[in-house]
Order: sequence, then C-alpha cells, then structure tokens
Amino acid sequence: MKLICTQNNFKKAIFNTERVIGKQNTLPILKNIMLKTEKGQLKFSATNLEIGIITKIGAKIERKGKITIPARLLSDFVNNLPNEEKILLETKNQTLTITSGNYNARINGLDAADFPIIPKLKSSYLVSLMAQKFKEAISKILFCVAINENRPEFSGVNVDFLEDKIILAATDSFRLAEINLKFSDNEISDNYRDFITKKNTAIVPYNTFSEIARAINTETKKVNIAVEENQIFFEIDGVQVVSRLINGKYPDYKQIIPQKFSTRVVLAREDFLRAVKISNVFADSKSGEINLKIDSKKSGLIIQAQSHESGENKVKLKADIVGPSQEIILNSRYIIDGANVISSFNIAILVNNESSPVGIKSINDKSGEILEDYVYIVMPIKK
Amino acid sequence: MTNEEIWQAVLGEVELSISKVQFTTWFKDTFILSNENGRVVISVPNGFAKEWLENKFKAHILQALRNFQENIKEISCVICNPQDKRQCQIKNIDAIKAPKQNQIIDLHPNGIVSNTQINYSVGLNPRYTFDNFIIGENNELARAACYAVSQSLGTNYNPLFIYGGVGLGKTHLLQSIGNEISKDGHQKKVIYISSERFTSELIDCIKNRKVDQFKDKYQQADLLIIDDIQFISGKEKTQDIFFHIFNFLYQLNKQIVISSDRPPGDIQILEERLRSRFEGGMIADIGNPDLETRIAILRSKSAEKDFFIEEDLIKFIAENIKNNVRELEGALNKVIANCQFGRKPLSMESIEDTLSDTISSSKRKCVNYKNIIKIVADFYEITSEEIIKKGRRKKIALPRQIAMFLVRSELEASYPEIGEYFGGRDHTTALYAFIKISKELEKNNKIKKDISLLQDKLYRTN
Repeated sequence: MKLICTQNNFKKAIFNTERVIGKQNTLPILKNIMLKTEKGQLKFSATNLEIGIITKIGAKIERKGKITIPARLLSDFVNNLPNEEKILLETKNQTLTITSGNYNARINGLDAADFPIIPKLKSSYLVSLMAQKFKEAISKILFCVAINENRPEFSGVNVDFLEDKIILAATDSFRLAEINLKFSDNEISDNYRDFITKKNTAIVPYNTFSEIARAINTETKKVNIAVEENQIFFEIDGVQVVSRLINGKYPDYKQIIPQKFSTRVVLAREDFLRAVKISNVFADSKSGEINLKIDSKKSGLIIQAQSHESGENKVKLKADIVGPSQEIILNSRYIIDGANVISSFNIAILVNNESSPVGIKSINDKSGEILEDYVYIVMPIKK
Repeated sequence: MTNEEIWQAVLGEVELSISKVQFTTWFKDTFILSNENGRVVISVPNGFAKEWLENKFKAHILQALRNFQENIKEISCVICNPQDKRQCQIKNIDAIKAPKQNQIIDLHPNGIVSNTQINYSVGLNPRYTFDNFIIGENNELARAACYAVSQSLGTNYNPLFIYGGVGLGKTHLLQSIGNEISKDGHQKKVIYISSERFTSELIDCIKNRKVDQFKDKYQQADLLIIDDIQFISGKEKTQDIFFHIFNFLYQLNKQIVISSDRPPGDIQILEERLRSRFEGGMIADIGNPDLETRIAILRSKSAEKDFFIEEDLIKFIAENIKNNVRELEGALNKVIANCQFGRKPLSMESIEDTLSDTISSSKRKCVNYKNIIKIVADFYEITSEEIIKKGRRKKIALPRQIAMFLVRSELEASYPEIGEYFGGRDHTTALYAFIKISKELEKNNKIKKDISLLQDKLYRTN
C-alpha cells in the first residue's frame, strides 16, 4: 500500500474510529485499526465485536493494499504532529511508514487478513432522520437505561419503528422515558413500509447509542438507520456504525404509562428543579424520599424532605394546578433526572394518586399546552 | 450421528487448527440449526461471527463436516440465540408489570437491585458488611470509627487510619464502609483500591501519558479507600500523586480511609508530609482477638456454613489458633471439610489430628534460640554478637533481656540453658531478665508492642 492523503482527513478518520476500541480484548488485533485501499479511497475499520465502525477518506493511491495498526499508537503519533498539508503512507511487509513533513514513523502492524470482517449492510438505509433531533432524543432517554442489569433487555434502548414515527424507550424498572420521533415521508426509503410489516422493534445497546450521540456533531445533518438480521446500521457524515442488537423481548411498557392524569401541575422548570435539588440534600440518603403536596385550592406545591441525619426542609412554590389535591412520596434523584432533560421553560408534573406512576412532560412555551412527544414516568414510593 | 454430535466433532477438529482465543471468539455459542439435503445451517451469536465463519472458515468447516457426512454441499450461517426463546417466555410474564417500583423500593429503598454487580465495579466484595463483622475488645474502636464514617462521610474522622496485623479484619472493615455507602444508591462514588494496584495503575498512566486522567478519576471519589498503604513506602512518585489526591479530597471534605499493617509512624520511607496527614485524622488499631471473640467468630462462621459443631470443640480450636482470624477460618474450614467428606466423625481427637500441622506451625515453627537472637538483634539494629558478648550498655542490655524473655516464653527453655545460649551467663541473669520483662510488659506499652511485633516476625519469617 502506498498513498497520499491530507493530514486533516486522516486525523478525523482515526478520531472517528478509535473510540470504539475497547481496553480489554481477548483478541489482540481488536486493538488495531485496519487501513485498506478501496475504490480510490482509504478505508478505516475498527471494532470491539459489539460495535464496528467504518469510515473512508479520499486519497491519491499509488499502490493498493491493507494493514492493521495499533490504534493508540497511531492516534498518539498523528495527533501530535504539527499541521502539515499532507501525509504519506507506505507499507512494507507488516510495517507502516508514515511521513508528514519532517516527521517520520514506522509502526509495526498485524496482518489485515486476521482482522474481523465488519458486517455490511446488504439492503439500503430505511430512514434518514434529522441528526440534531435524534441526538437530543437519545440524551433524553439514555440515562434511564439500566447498565448493571441482569436482565439484558433493560441494558438497551427499545426502538419501535412505526408508520410515521420512531419511538425510543428506556427503563431500569424504576423509571421510564419514552420519546416519539416523527418523520415525514421524504425521510424514509421505499422499503421502510415493507420492513415494518415484518419486524418493527429492536433493542439497541446503551454503548451503541452513546457512541452515536458522540459521533453526531453540531454540523451533522442526517442520521441514516437500517436494521438487518440482529444488527443495526447507522451512517453519520459518512461514518458507518454497525452494532449487534440485544436479544430478547422488551417488556410491554406501554400499559404502565397512564393514559390520563387527574392532577396537572405546571410551573417553571428552573424553580421546580431547584426546589427538588434542595430537598434532595435533606432527604434520607438511602431512599431519597421527598414529599410532594399539591394543594389545588391554594394553587401551591409544597416539597418537603426530612431525615434523622440532616434535619428537614420545606419549599413552597406557586403553580398552576388543575384537578384534585394530592400528596405523594417520590425519590428525589429520579425526579431530578427527569426534570433535567426537559427543555421547555415550564414543566408539567402529572399525578393520579399516591400509588400510580407520576409523569413529567414538557410544555409548549407559546401555547401552554402539554407536549405529548416525550414522557418520563416514575413510580412513587409507597408508605 | 445427531447434529449436535457432528458439530462437536467439527469443533474438536477446528479447535486444533486455530488458536484458543480465535476459537472462543468465533465458535462460542455456535451450533447446527438444520441439516437437510446436504445444506447445513449454522447458528451463530452475532454478525461478526457470521462474517468470519462464512468468509474465513467456510472451506475448513465444510471439509470437517464431510468427514462425518459425505453428502454435505453447502453451509450458511444465521444469527440467532437459542436461549432467547426460553428467556422470552419467562420474561413475558413479568414484563407486563415492568417498572414495578414501589414493591422493589420496599425491599431496596435505594433502588439498587443488583448490589453485587455494582460493587464489583468499584472493587468491593459484597460479602464484607458490618452485619457480619464480629466485634470484640480488640476491634471495638476500629469498628466504631468505621461505622461512624460510613454514616456520614467526610465529617467525623477524616482521614481514618486503621492498622493491625495480617488477617485481623482490616479489609473486612474497609470494604464494609464501601458496601454501606454503595447501599445508598448511585450518588456517592466509592473507590476501593489496594495501594499496590494504585501504583501499578499509576505506572500504566504514566506510560500512556494519562496522569491527569488518573488524578481525575480519584479526585472524583466521595469515598476513597486505600488498603495496605504500607506498600507505597519508598515509591516516591506514587506518594507524590497520592499526596495531591489526598489534599484535593481532603479540601472538599471527601472521606479517605486507609489501612496498613503498622501505625503511620512506623511506615518506613514515607514522606513526612504524608505521615503527618495520616496522623492528623483518626487512628484506630485492630489487635489480636481474645478468646471470647475467637469463639464468637467460629460460631458465626459455622452458622454461616450451616455446620453444627460442639461448644468444647469450638473452644479447642479457638484456644489453639490465636493470632489470626484468617487462620481461624481456615482451621474451621479444614475441620468442616474433613467431617463432610466422611473421613472422620467430629471429636476432639479428630480435630486435634486435622489441625495438628496448623497448630504446631502456629506454635513453634522451627523457631530456635538462634533466630530469636537474630530477629531481636535486627529489630533493634544491633548485631547478634553484641547480644551474646559482654557489655551492659542500655542499648544492648534491653534487647538481650527481651531475647532471653522470648527464648524462655516461646521455647520454654530452662534458665541454665538460656544462660548457656547467651554466651555462658549465669542462670540468675536469665531469671532476672525474664522477671523484669514480664513486669515491664504490664506497665510499659512500648515494650509490649515491641514484643508482639517480634513474635509476629518470629512466626512469619519462618
């Protein structure tokens, strides 16, 4: 292999691929990035056998070839290089010579023939979503995933592919978040409808989504998604990511989300979050119990916490309340998590009674209506 | 041959021709899904295995298959997981009630279901808790301090320094603090690490130029527990980094707990500023357990193992193994094992027999007067000759008396014999030394500590 490419592209490609490389791998070659010339381009591949990443950059190829190089070494070398226009790569046996300006390095690699084959997408991408919206959606649900869970299906995000939208959901069996991502017809491919008649759900591992969220930068426009034979494929700015899916059936969570809430409390998110955070300080450190009193006559919300170790506190907040008065006990940390990801100015707290799930939703800042696309629910603590 | 047998045979063949790592990576959880009309479908757990088998091992597998069934023409792979179906069926049932929070919260108010797994991530063993720590006079203070720390981090005793000999329960106490905190949920970040691992991690980070990350990691802790700190003695860079982490955490009122086999003042080659910091917090020691405590430990351990053992037998074990809880546990295990394998019924004789080497080894494991003299001499930084030679300087006289005392108490040598050992002295000299040290032991703490350290050395080095 012998080629010339720009240093900038080379750095970017390594940056995009090396993240997936894990620390503890049984197979030594998994610590490497594979470089391969393909159709006039230079292809980078890396994998931990759970996620695989492929990216390509333009290059002037003089001689075809392939090699695998330790990712850490390569990125440490390349990232410290002074800015130069071009970078020159040449392989000889199993060594790669990199030349950039006055800097030159020879890196020992491993035979590319031993590198795992990263599964390729056979059909075409199914949907092409707005990247920023997708990233925001991931950030709103990913914290609910149970990472240390002995039930594997809880360690991922459930993705439902429906006629006109995708629903992402995550739960750790104490709280649950669900978000709807609507799309228009021009965002889906021709075979999407066909696909959803056969199979329409997938459980995507936590790491895959956090990797995707990281790969989307502020300039990314589109995320392409496809599902094929126990695997999910993404394409972001020319970077292809393939991941295994989690086997198993996601719990039928829909029926836990109450269709109606009898009491609706609306107030400024900042105020509410502050009050809960302060109560969290006083709450019992084990159970994190805080008490929410909703007084519909006085239009007031009282948040209280107390524990033997610290004492007690009480916050009174004005709120717009519809429905009967309520009193519930909640885990403060779960409420903080939920209120944190709400992006609207106001927040809606929805309650039925002291033993059924409490909902948190966003409010349309202009019309004052509750937005239904995102819901976060938490079970109250029973006395 | 059934499909299963064929596949086992194929795997056996393949295993020989590739490396073990390769074999487990690609062939784990594979099996023949169907075998019809010369077409074999192999089930693989993931896409990578599918690609690899289809592209790299196809010929190999095909050939191996043909050895057992000649008509095979074609193989293909599909991704599936046989366990799924079973699991799904079971899980469907409870999946309906998924976030059944209030019930689980009743049991675990903090919402952690799988304590075990979480704790592993910070290096804690969930087996060690305050509940199963047995309190005796020897460890009362240490346990109380640890418990107080676990109830409010960073406020009571910071840093907390626990020291005591091998196998007396330092690690148990330290881990109990960590486990107690982890019970509280995800909020507090607990790091438990032995100083030796701390050092090797640091070395890795220095090598990879990630020292900042290393510091960051530890500076985020709400509770930092370092076990066996004495091993950082002499490691300058580790001490340096640790000093900074220590200060950082201390400033933020984060709890630090440290253990060692000796008090901070006795750790050699420890930077003065670290030493003074260790001494600035609470220092608690764990001594050797007394007989009652040892009996209590044995009782609780045998209850834990669901094994009945009679009082007088417990007493016998406790009386004979004195210095070390771990040895005590080992002795009990040995007795239980011997009994359960049906080799011997439980009786005083059988126990005596089973534990004969443990007991004798803990009593006097080839200790003789020569190595007592040598160890005492080393301890007081004089030479063996000086002890034996004449000379009554205090620097030499006291060690000599201690050595005589030890020869008497450990070897039960007669006074004339002792006089003989120590350069032909009179037996009254030996008698005087023994009485003197015995008296000192009662009122002089320094000598008491020295003697117990010496005894420790005596039996450990042999």
